Amino acid sequence: MLLSTETMDVDFVRKVEALSGTSVRRCFQCGKCSAGCPMATFMEHPPNRVVRLLQLGQWQRILAGRSIWYCASCETCSTRCPNKVHLASIMDALRKLSWDAEGPSKESYVQLANRLFLQNIRTYGRQYEMRLAAVFNVKSGQFLKDLMLGPKLISKGKLKMFHQKNKNMIEIEKIFGRIEEMRKNGEAL
Amino acid sequence: MTPKKTLNYAYYPGCSLHASAGEYDLSTRELFKKLNIGLTEVPDWFCCGATPAHNVDELLSLSLCAKNLELAEQVEGDLAVACAACFSRLKTTQHVLSESDVKRRQVEKAIDAPVPLTGNVKHLLDILARDLGLEQLEQAVTKPLAGLKVACYYGCLLTRPTDVPNLDCVEAPTIMEDILKAAGAETVAWSHRMECCGANFTLSRPGVVIQLSHAILDSAKEAGADCIMVACPLCHGNLDIRQKEIEGVYNTEYAMPVFYITQLVGLATGLGADKLGLDALIVNPMPLLKEKQLL
Repeated sequence: MLLSTETMDVDFVRKVEALSGTSVRRCFQCGKCSAGCPMATFMEHPPNRVVRLLQLGQWQRILAGRSIWYCASCETCSTRCPNKVHLASIMDALRKLSWDAEGPSKESYVQLANRLFLQNIRTYGRQYEMRLAAVFNVKSGQFLKDLMLGPKLISKGKLKMFHQKNKNMIEIEKIFGRIEEMRKNGEAL
Repeated sequence: MTPKKTLNYAYYPGCSLHASAGEYDLSTRELFKKLNIGLTEVPDWFCCGATPAHNVDELLSLSLCAKNLELAEQVEGDLAVACAACFSRLKTTQHVLSESDVKRRQVEKAIDAPVPLTGNVKHLLDILARDLGLEQLEQAVTKPLAGLKVACYYGCLLTRPTDVPNLDCVEAPTIMEDILKAAGAETVAWSHRMECCGANFTLSRPGVVIQLSHAILDSAKEAGADCIMVACPLCHGNLDIRQKEIEGVYNTEYAMPVFYITQLVGLATGLGADKLGLDALIVNPMPLLKEKQLL
């Protein structure tokens, strides 16, 4: 298939390029990213194919799939790309587009974990691992997940029952609020 | 002997060091005290956003890191960071914001302050190997880790982002080995020193961590290592806390202690087990340390 403005959804590619600050079009499919990707075995489309699908205008297949949520953000791909395509940033951009559209991706556990993580920052200013794990189990319906680890971690002081709240919580709420405001006014993506 | 430098840093521990990686925080403070390096915790620091923030919301991730960089300005000295992920995010933020005026203006609006982009963000490894220097470090060693064979595990984020001058070579770093040699230990050559451990999938998809961390433990064992050394709380959690589970799944036995760098270097400078939080490790390191007569 030839790459042209007809095969490629240029508007979508431009959006990804603006968000990621890197070029989708520069990739010539050497496959080095997928060769070094520790997560490729868990993906239905390995990293080089994600870029190829973008180049061919088939981004719906990416947003609907699991691949972008199985990227560990290790940045091995970006490190090794001979064309300096920052693939890890492209993955961030695609996740954001899928996330904002409350996309049809089948991968719900990773998205749930991300959502709870960000909620924790907004509520406490810092991560609260005990709460993060407990709420994740409840919301994902896996009540017994890692239950055997719990007592050991508590006895080793690794899971704190109480959390030190940041004294400057008004600041963090302001940051979240200002970002929402900027997005509402169309000043930021 | 070269005159002693006075080294003082602003210290950003990050969330894990105040929770599941308390022993990393403790051993860092104790080691730095022993080496006469000043650490002053950044007041009221926030979570850097880690992977989940940049995964779905770059502006939020950049803003959280920028806020921390701004808070760090209150304390004199470069910013010392212990966690590989916090380190990578703070460095990335400086890089992205110095490249893009649009993003910098958005972030400055979000945090309602100018972002300091010129401050040095340094990982603890950098401070030990370069600011203090290997020679000074060697002089501080009173109990060399003789006979201890260590697999130095870098993981992913210590040497990234790759677009800016950073900790060490992106593909073949040696900074951990250099430090450990100064501490008198032996280091092994092994294949998985920079392979991913599964990172934050430990919460959402632990099966991923089991598979990837198994390969790392296997590789370290095959290379003849007595233990693994890390400089990241997430790598530590995956290799140490989940080790028993991995042994069960793959029907094998490693009993491979996983130390933080500050714990091993701390031992070499004569700090006791109680000051290094060795009892907080899940895989018991005491049999190994006793066998090698290091305790």
